[in-house]
Amino acid sequence: MQDFLELAVSATASGCIYGLMALAYLLMIRPTGIINFAVGEWAMVAAFGGHLLLSRWEWPYAAGMAVVILFMAILGSTTERIAVRPLVERGAPLLAPILALLGVLVVTREVISVSFPPDPMPVPFPFDIGRLELGPVGGSYQSFFIITVTALVFIGAWLFFEKTLWGKSFEAVALNRRAAALMGINLSRVTTLSFAGGAAVAGLAGLLVSPNVSAHYLMGVPLAIQGFTALVIGGVGRVEGAILGGLVLAFAEQLTARYAPIPSGFAQGVPLVFLMIFLLVRPTGLLKVRA
Amino acid sequence: MGPLLQVSRVTKRFGGLTAVSKLAFELRRGEILGVIGPNGAGKSTTFNIIAGTYAADEGEIRFDGESIAGMPPHQIARRGVMRTFQHNRPFEGMSVLENVLVGAHTRFGRNLFSRSAAAEEREQRAQAERLVEFVGLGELRTANVDRLSFGQGRLLEIARALAGAPKLILFDEPAAGLTRAEAERIATVIRGIAERGIAVLLIEHDMHFLLPLAHRVVVLNFGAKIAEGTSDEVRSHPAVLDAYLGHAAAV
Amino acid sequence: MRVVAWVAAFVALAALPFFLGSYHNDVYRKLLLWVTLALGYNFLFGICGQVAFSHFAFYGIGAYGVVILLFQVGLPLPIAILLALLICVILALIVAIPATRLEGFYLALVTLALAQLFIVLLNEGGTVTGGAGGIANYRLPPIFGTRISGPAYTLVIVALLMLTLALLWRLDRSWFGRACRAVRDNPEAAAAMGVDVARTKVIAFTLTSALAGMAGMVYAFVDNTVNPPIFGLENAFLILFMVIVGGAGRHAGAIIGAVLLFLLPFWLSPVVGHHHQLIFGALVVAAILLWPKGLVGIWDRFSR
Repeated sequence: MQDFLELAVSATASGCIYGLMALAYLLMIRPTGIINFAVGEWAMVAAFGGHLLLSRWEWPYAAGMAVVILFMAILGSTTERIAVRPLVERGAPLLAPILALLGVLVVTREVISVSFPPDPMPVPFPFDIGRLELGPVGGSYQSFFIITVTALVFIGAWLFFEKTLWGKSFEAVALNRRAAALMGINLSRVTTLSFAGGAAVAGLAGLLVSPNVSAHYLMGVPLAIQGFTALVIGGVGRVEGAILGGLVLAFAEQLTARYAPIPSGFAQGVPLVFLMIFLLVRPTGLLKVRA
Repeated sequence: MGPLLQVSRVTKRFGGLTAVSKLAFELRRGEILGVIGPNGAGKSTTFNIIAGTYAADEGEIRFDGESIAGMPPHQIARRGVMRTFQHNRPFEGMSVLENVLVGAHTRFGRNLFSRSAAAEEREQRAQAERLVEFVGLGELRTANVDRLSFGQGRLLEIARALAGAPKLILFDEPAAGLTRAEAERIATVIRGIAERGIAVLLIEHDMHFLLPLAHRVVVLNFGAKIAEGTSDEVRSHPAVLDAYLGHAAAV
Repeated sequence: MRVVAWVAAFVALAALPFFLGSYHNDVYRKLLLWVTLALGYNFLFGICGQVAFSHFAFYGIGAYGVVILLFQVGLPLPIAILLALLICVILALIVAIPATRLEGFYLALVTLALAQLFIVLLNEGGTVTGGAGGIANYRLPPIFGTRISGPAYTLVIVALLMLTLALLWRLDRSWFGRACRAVRDNPEAAAAMGVDVARTKVIAFTLTSALAGMAGMVYAFVDNTVNPPIFGLENAFLILFMVIVGGAGRHAGAIIGAVLLFLLPFWLSPVVGHHHQLIFGALVVAAILLWPKGLVGIWDRFSR
């Protein structure tokens, strides 16, 4: 039982990372319909940013984190301006920006790969390495930090979509672009904001996961896939779906790795099998999309 | 010989809304049947049910003796029912002629590699060229479709539908967005089609266009048929005038 | 193309290895294989409009399949080839039939997962797949008593390329190719014209995946080694980039794109070292933004 609780905390923390990645996708898919696989590379960039600011230049954690996230938001909106906006304005099919973003994915990865040595780069923890025991439940400081930050982000996202005018305009654009434009919603501003937000959230995920796994230029694609799988499991319609999908995926992964009688390497296959099953059998995800 | 198309007791609901209710009418070979009605009367829904885009919740649709209710669009097309789209849907990456050749898809044998395949391709190409001439797009036959004007695009829709050698063509608001001259041309083409023995079902808003053209008219309102008859009969029918209150002046 | 042109092309391509040194021969064979793959991918993506990331997975299934069936299961060569091909076809059908019933991009996502899953299986496959190191040190069994290797094997590759091109060329010009393009340009209108959209997608996907599998079988005996990195997503992206930059939808585009992007690293390596991916990514973004019809489109415009 103790064993399971230990795993539960760790799985929850992983699930939070996947949930954040899924949220990043969601922020961009809802208003634009564009699936941006570059979110993985964005997480990677933030991880390297964390290494640079926090490890090499030894900035205080909060300041470093804030600057990295801000940088990511700018990177996201710049990407949108360069690779997405011209295509959308030209009326290109949705496939065009998705493919262009694949090009951006590769360019981003190579830029990082050129700028840093090929070995994994350390990123420091915000708190000293240690354990926290909350009653029967125990885990590392980092795990609890991840869970807390993610919870805050998701509450913020939920409030954004439900309560603010900006959030409602995202929804309006998601439901009907033309009608939203006719109602005076500035489509390009919504799109820029969605990409800035997506990049910031992905960057946050990168920052949170990298102390444990180090910053490495190949970390992007697996994160992108895990995040996307979480999104598909939870359903593309709602914020709650992103975190639910992330948790389901993380628990499935870790329970399989721990208790299933198959070699541990195969655990990497779990998100992939889940993705295929959900795409083929239940593409709308676990939660019902809001009508 | 029975009617070519038989629609009986067709009903379609979307959630709580009944779009079409117990609709029934028939269409004979070589006949031009118009379906009219105010906005929201259920014309488009009826059209899409016959074309296979929607499945009716209740009722029967028989085409040439066979039930086509619930069949997907491509199978309905195979049986000789072709359609045009209100908002032109050309195949953008292809020329005018290629577009029309897609319309002939159901006429090709399944053979890809036999000797006769090449001959068949040539023959279909020649027929497609004749069709392109027939609708008046002869000069543009090798042009990419993005060079066509809206009205020319509409003519392409018709040529494409004809390429399938259909027994019935469904026209979705063929006059929409056209100038008076362009609409005249379309009307002439449609008359020519009916003269060749192809049945025509057209839904249309524009009474000036439809009433002189159609042999018979079915009038819908709130999803139900409120009148049926020749153009003259319908023009002065009290239920029709009532439904078009305010539009009656145009008639 | 006339028969004479085909024969001339075959002879030219087949004769070339006799004039090249062994290093250049190796590059040449790989180039021919990439062109073959690009032609198949172009048919699926450029002509039929389906995005998929499994092309290299099928390349790998063909390669690993024939090697495992030959040397671990011990089947004779013709049976191994047929069986490996059958596996490719069945797997392609399993993926395509459900995926093509859903909206366009689902096939892309499922094949993305499939591609990654394939690599995981290869890496974790223990003695069957040779794990992360792969399988090496085998040779093509003698065919009718002779061992085919060196420039003679290049002939096999050239034949594969020509046959692939001939098949896809023929299909492209047939009603099937037209149906594929209709599905690409406007699936709803295609259905209204009688095209069975789902079936067209399934056939295009299965056919091109099988062709990739065949190319993989030929590849297995080029270096006489197969290992996981070759068949991963990196190359799946690369083949997509080749087709986009060259000009999606045209056979010439696939050829130009493959030749350019394959040879570019060799020419650029003094300048950018291993980081040619950077150029590829930038080229793709530029192509989509500036020259959507690819290099072939630019050529067309100039030659008009």
